[in-house]
Amino acid sequence: MSPRLSPLSVPYRAARKGGSLLFTLVFALFSGAMAVTNDLGGPLLVLGLVVLLVLALVGYEVAYYRRYEYELTAESLDISSGVFSRRNREIPLRRVQNVDISRNALQRALSIAAVNFETAGGSTTEAAIRFVSFEEAKRLQREVARLKRGEEPGAGEAGEEDVEELFALSADELALVGLLSFDLRGPGILLFLASGSVPVVSGLFADVEGPLLALGGVAVLLLIVLVSWLAGIAVAVANYYGFTLSRADDELRYERGLLRRYDGSIPLDKVQTVTVEDNPLKRRFGYASLAIETAGYGPGTGGDRGSESAVPLASVERVLQLANDVEPFGDPAFERPPKRVRRRYAMRYLIALAAVTAAFFGVEYVLAVGFPWWIPLVLLAVVPVAAHLKWLHRGYWLGADHVVTRNGFWRRQTKVVPYYRIQTVIESRTPFQWRWDLATVVVDTAGSNSLVGNDAAAVDVDESTAATLRDELDERLRASLATRRDRQRAEATERRPADADESVGRAADEGAGPVADDDDGRNRDLDGDEAVEGSDPDADGEGEHGTSDDRRNKPGDDSENEVDGDTDGVGFGADSSN
Amino acid sequence: MNRLHPRVQVLWAVRAALLAVVLGAITWVVSRVALDLPTLLPVGVFLVALVVGVAYAAVKYRLWGYEVREDSLYLERGVFTRVRTVVPFVRIQHVDSARGPAERFLGLASTVVYTAGSRGADVSIPGLTPDGADSLQDRLKRLAIRAEGEDAV
Repeated sequence: MSPRLSPLSVPYRAARKGGSLLFTLVFALFSGAMAVTNDLGGPLLVLGLVVLLVLALVGYEVAYYRRYEYELTAESLDISSGVFSRRNREIPLRRVQNVDISRNALQRALSIAAVNFETAGGSTTEAAIRFVSFEEAKRLQREVARLKRGEEPGAGEAGEEDVEELFALSADELALVGLLSFDLRGPGILLFLASGSVPVVSGLFADVEGPLLALGGVAVLLLIVLVSWLAGIAVAVANYYGFTLSRADDELRYERGLLRRYDGSIPLDKVQTVTVEDNPLKRRFGYASLAIETAGYGPGTGGDRGSESAVPLASVERVLQLANDVEPFGDPAFERPPKRVRRRYAMRYLIALAAVTAAFFGVEYVLAVGFPWWIPLVLLAVVPVAAHLKWLHRGYWLGADHVVTRNGFWRRQTKVVPYYRIQTVIESRTPFQWRWDLATVVVDTAGSNSLVGNDAAAVDVDESTAATLRDELDERLRASLATRRDRQRAEATERRPADADESVGRAADEGAGPVADDDDGRNRDLDGDEAVEGSDPDADGEGEHGTSDDRRNKPGDDSENEVDGDTDGVGFGADSSN
Repeated sequence: MNRLHPRVQVLWAVRAALLAVVLGAITWVVSRVALDLPTLLPVGVFLVALVVGVAYAAVKYRLWGYEVREDSLYLERGVFTRVRTVVPFVRIQHVDSARGPAERFLGLASTVVYTAGSRGADVSIPGLTPDGADSLQDRLKRLAIRAEGEDAV
């Protein structure tokens, strides 16, 4: 007998749907439908309709409850649901990225929870179980993690799990999170609304003195900052109240939220990118935040949940330690962009400043109220500093197993991408970068935040560096994948050591020529492995070009040539270990 | 470095011409309804847009190139922003070959390579002959299988 939803989900769902229906009904009654109902027998009929509606609603929800079944098997999560149109869905467990439990205040009072199963690639949640008991939700979360490791179903009950708390947000830190975060959404909306009333306001202030107007502007700006600050505090406290991060075997678990509680799981082997973020204030006081991205969240939800499934604030050392627990990348020594980049940034700021000044001047020219239009020019003094700071906080680093990039002064993000998570490497040069011989190398992953174009990127590196970087990242991706495959294969075939020996022997034989596909693959893997283990992280784009030249000289590309090309690749892979 | 089929310039040029017509029409409507513009301006706008568009198509063709390397697909493109993309075969999820109506008319086809990356759909090679697109698709598919990637994410 497969498990069912919590019985409490029936009244809850009915009440929630009923609530919105009631709202519609009341609205309809007061907007003129009243007259019609009066003709048809008055309040009694209305009451009858409402009772009927409630019955129908409850009936539907009971049916929904009775026809909803789910089951966790060793391989998959099976859900069959639907009152009128039935749907049977099987989700392979190894595709499940995150299991998220959320409970709002009312759900917590009823001790029921909503469970979301996220898989990669979907824009929506793959499976959403609408309301089981909280204990059942936690059991599902644990069971999915256990079954993915290949353990027997049903063996692990509560408490057997080895959960180690990694981090808990103290009250002081929560206060700090609030104080250090600005939520620009509220003021943004205000600003948007206010922009419509500009002509009116400017009419009002037509006879006000210019300096006073400037003062007013500054006051409005301060107000915006204050409001966004307060909004930030409220949002942060609501989101991160009682935040804890713990580790259960190969999963991270987090809990957070004041009114709505979230219990999420992040499988470590699904981590795409680790981001350490700070701003000048946080840097000043030695704090930073940490975000862990998986591919489990669809577009639009990335900023909302994906990026919050991490540590909102902790001391820098703590954050770096946690980040290294997740992805052991070590201590990056960033390579900064060439120094000429600073001149580029200075130029950019000068142009922006000129534009703002011109706009101010235009306004003053039209209104003629003695407004000090030259005020932005004061910022001229800051331009070199700003350009320098922007340059200073930018950089990339190629570690043994990770590429790390860093960008931004106000919101500095350090992104750590394991080589084997790279999807594509994109090098681009805008017309503005041409004349400085610069390029940007974007490392695309399947992470959730990258969907809004927030990929790890080495911005404004020298053109030749970019070309090397591009090929190097491609190279390391393959080497790293080969290593991983080998490790997995070694684990799988531990009882057949003789077989592996044979492959090594064959891999050493360089001039093997065309061999069967399967063996060829294995040879290459083993070779790649050796290359990585002995590899020095120095750029070796030359070989790549060499082999691509080779390819160009081969007109007919049949499969034999491909195998040849591959052995070239092997030779090159081994080269890089020298 | 492989080039696209030269006929793709025709495709792009026709698209540019359509855009030029639209721009000319907009200018014409504006000059009729609102502003008192010179009579020949719509024609001028059309001609300028056409010349620029055709020139753009030609330059775009010259700068487009792709290469099937031993372990990855490499593309170079872009007139203003020059983009070079490396798609390792291990990362290829699936490969489409597509032919739109205009492409069919001109006897062209394109190959689209998908990865699990967020910008995956960007990787599309236009201006191939139908046979070329099919064989490229086939070849990429074989290479992707042979590269035996693990689960993408």
